[in-house]
Amino acid sequence: MSASVLSVKDLTVSVRMDDSPRTLIDHVSFDLAKGEILGLVGESGSGKSLLCRTLVRLMPSSLITIDAGTVVLAGRDLTRISDAEMLEVRGGEIGMIFQNPTSHLDPVMRIGDQIAEGIRYHQKIGAAQAREAAVEILTQVGFPDPIRQYDSYPHEFSGGMRQRAMIGVALSCDPKILIADEPTTALDVTIQAQILALLMDIRDKRGLSIILITHDLGIVAQTCDRIAVMQGGRLLEQGPKRQILARPQDPYTINLINSHPSMPDQATGPAARDENPRPITKPLLEIDDLHVDFRSGGSLFKAGAKTVKAVSGVSLQVMPGETIGIVGESGSGKSTLARAILGLTEISSGHVTFDGIDVGQQRTAGLAKLRRETAMVFQDPYNALNPRMTIGQTLAEVLAVQGKVARLAIPGRVGELLDLVGLDREFAQRKPRSMSGGQCQRAGIARALAVDPKMIIADECVAALDVTIQAQIIALFRELTLKMNLTLLFIAHDLAIVRNLCERVVVMYRGEVVEEGRSDEVFARPKHEYTAALIAAIPDIDPDRPLLGQKASGSVQSILPELPVKRMPS
Amino acid sequence: MHRYKFVLTRPVQFLPVLFGISVITFILVRLIPGDPARNILGTRATPTALANIRAQYGLDQPIWLQYFYFLKNLANGEMGKSILYKIDVLPLISTRIEPTLTLVLASVVLSIVIALPMSAIAARNVGRAPDHAVRIVSTFGIGLPPFWLGLMLIILFSVQLGVLPVSGYGSSLGDKLAHLVLPSLTVALSLSTVLTRSLRSAMVEALKSDVATAARARGMPEGIVFWRHVVPNSLVPTINLLAVNIGWLIGGTVVVESVFALPGMGQLLVRAIFSRDYMVVQGVAMTFACATVLVNFIADIVTVAVDPRVKL
Repeated sequence: MSASVLSVKDLTVSVRMDDSPRTLIDHVSFDLAKGEILGLVGESGSGKSLLCRTLVRLMPSSLITIDAGTVVLAGRDLTRISDAEMLEVRGGEIGMIFQNPTSHLDPVMRIGDQIAEGIRYHQKIGAAQAREAAVEILTQVGFPDPIRQYDSYPHEFSGGMRQRAMIGVALSCDPKILIADEPTTALDVTIQAQILALLMDIRDKRGLSIILITHDLGIVAQTCDRIAVMQGGRLLEQGPKRQILARPQDPYTINLINSHPSMPDQATGPAARDENPRPITKPLLEIDDLHVDFRSGGSLFKAGAKTVKAVSGVSLQVMPGETIGIVGESGSGKSTLARAILGLTEISSGHVTFDGIDVGQQRTAGLAKLRRETAMVFQDPYNALNPRMTIGQTLAEVLAVQGKVARLAIPGRVGELLDLVGLDREFAQRKPRSMSGGQCQRAGIARALAVDPKMIIADECVAALDVTIQAQIIALFRELTLKMNLTLLFIAHDLAIVRNLCERVVVMYRGEVVEEGRSDEVFARPKHEYTAALIAAIPDIDPDRPLLGQKASGSVQSILPELPVKRMPS
Repeated sequence: MHRYKFVLTRPVQFLPVLFGISVITFILVRLIPGDPARNILGTRATPTALANIRAQYGLDQPIWLQYFYFLKNLANGEMGKSILYKIDVLPLISTRIEPTLTLVLASVVLSIVIALPMSAIAARNVGRAPDHAVRIVSTFGIGLPPFWLGLMLIILFSVQLGVLPVSGYGSSLGDKLAHLVLPSLTVALSLSTVLTRSLRSAMVEALKSDVATAARARGMPEGIVFWRHVVPNSLVPTINLLAVNIGWLIGGTVVVESVFALPGMGQLLVRAIFSRDYMVVQGVAMTFACATVLVNFIADIVTVAVDPRVKL
């Protein structure tokens, strides 16, 4: 291995609050070799992002300080150099890419200017030259028409293109090290594959070293040379990728690898339920040629509105007790479908029949029945729970409105619900902000169960959670559907999760169902090329099963033209 | 440039707005107790003389007919004749519009000139002494009534120091500007406090934003981060606040014009109300309404220019 470009030794960072310092990063040491991609893995709160911010001294608060240790880059200790020297290091030596390109790109500044800004400042060259250099970088990160797109604003691009722009900004000053903080977490799986391929391509061309922060071991397995696992501010173990994945030493790493959704969970897989075939009954939910169109543009006095077909011609039958996964990328219409089923979005044409009642024709009766017999679990558990109410109050409110439980029996029922979702009964007194994401999502599921529903619609309900928590919530859903004979419509962009949980899977693309079938069959033998592309783009935890984007970069793009930015009326 | 298409289409929407305003002001003015004819002729006028005056100004007609004539005049570019000044309303307003317009413009510019550095100093020193100082000054400024502040400024600059005129309005440009310094400063000091608070909180947010972090991460010094990224991103909410306040200001110049004896629209309006000069009140109210609509229109254009995401 070549000499290291960055050497971190015993780095210790702590936060001073109420004059009792708390250690956030505890004696972390690692080396980064030239041209190497180091995967920094850990869950939220493990300190992996803070560690990288500390390397360039951009801690999120002035209360957080470096207590000990060294960060040596080209003979200089970055913890000791002056602020002016640090400005040269940031951008010039170490570039950063962030998780959310939408919030990190300046919305009121042209994309090209954001790239040129760093070039002009660091290399002290004129505007015209900087513009030329920026156009060149836009070409490198894959903008098809860089000269024209230089003058575009971030909101005019899709998430994938924004992340490409962000990478362009980071590359603008020709850094030796790139820190990528969850660069693909906010992106669709096929776009993720493209961005990862781009990062590796840049590494190969420029001889960069990359620190890739991620919670997804699949990404690490596919892209990195070495892995470092962090938990609670400590580096638990580090080493070459294959060694860590094949023979993890630390129990935490073992758990992390086992929680990865691409590990097929044979013992409790979805097939388990098929042992007692259910009698053929009427479908609980029947969707017949459903269309949902949105008007976009136009005004009060002028027509000229375009219609966007969010859902076009979807038909689906859901049997009682079935677990169905709806997968697709953002903009594929899966959330609109869920909203249309629940009557939250107006149906343009077609029928939704729930338990024999056509919701379109008998709107009042149908909606009343829907609201009493279905419930929804949302993506962001914090925003979906009222922050001013305790969990107990939230659950009691639902129970009181539904009126299915006698008033006096409500406190007892609240306790039962908490038991069901595996929360301690004392959580009835807690408010969402004092709970973790996983606990909040359990409370969200408890609220859905409070309705005593026949059907639960879960919209991306694990997307915001850490992998090990995801695995727990999936296990909970599996247990609940079995125990209570629930019908579950599980909407997700993560195919691996759907494969583990759902018996049947529906693949949506641009508002249409392109494939439907038993999960194991769809995943083993996808019929539609879009499904095949989606499956191929999942980063597998086995490093010998390469990512589609690596073998033939651009092949995904040739099948799937970039979708326009999603504009959904809320 | 399709984002600016609304500049051409939007004015169509002004017509119903202005029509509504004209109906409301027309009716409200006539609901004020009092009789314009008796105001002109005094208490000892004969019934015949009163009837003559009423007939002369069309006040003996039913109210809907009066409104019809008002609209008909308006279509011809006339607003009727002032009962008090005995001349047409439109030329009357146009002689009075200049002091008010310059006062409002000068106040707005001055308040931005005060607010921008104040909020920048506060935002870049959050929680430290300069921030507290700015907060104390602006809280103080919100609490001061403009008529009192105006008088204090007169005492300080005109009476004690003798550098600026006490009141009135000049004839030459320099003279006019000298007469406008104190009134516009009075208005600007009140207005800038509101702007400072809004700008400061937007800047504090933007300094913590991901945009600022990303700019720092590419090695931009704090000055560039602030002026090139934080400030442009903080302007949008303040533009709308400013527009609302200018609308309020146009009507609110009445007080300041009285304190400084400026011969502007505010003064004209006060006198017209006291003498039940219906035509003038209507005319001034319509002018104020048009100005407010126009200011909001300009604010929309500026918002679109500042924030490329906005589509109207």
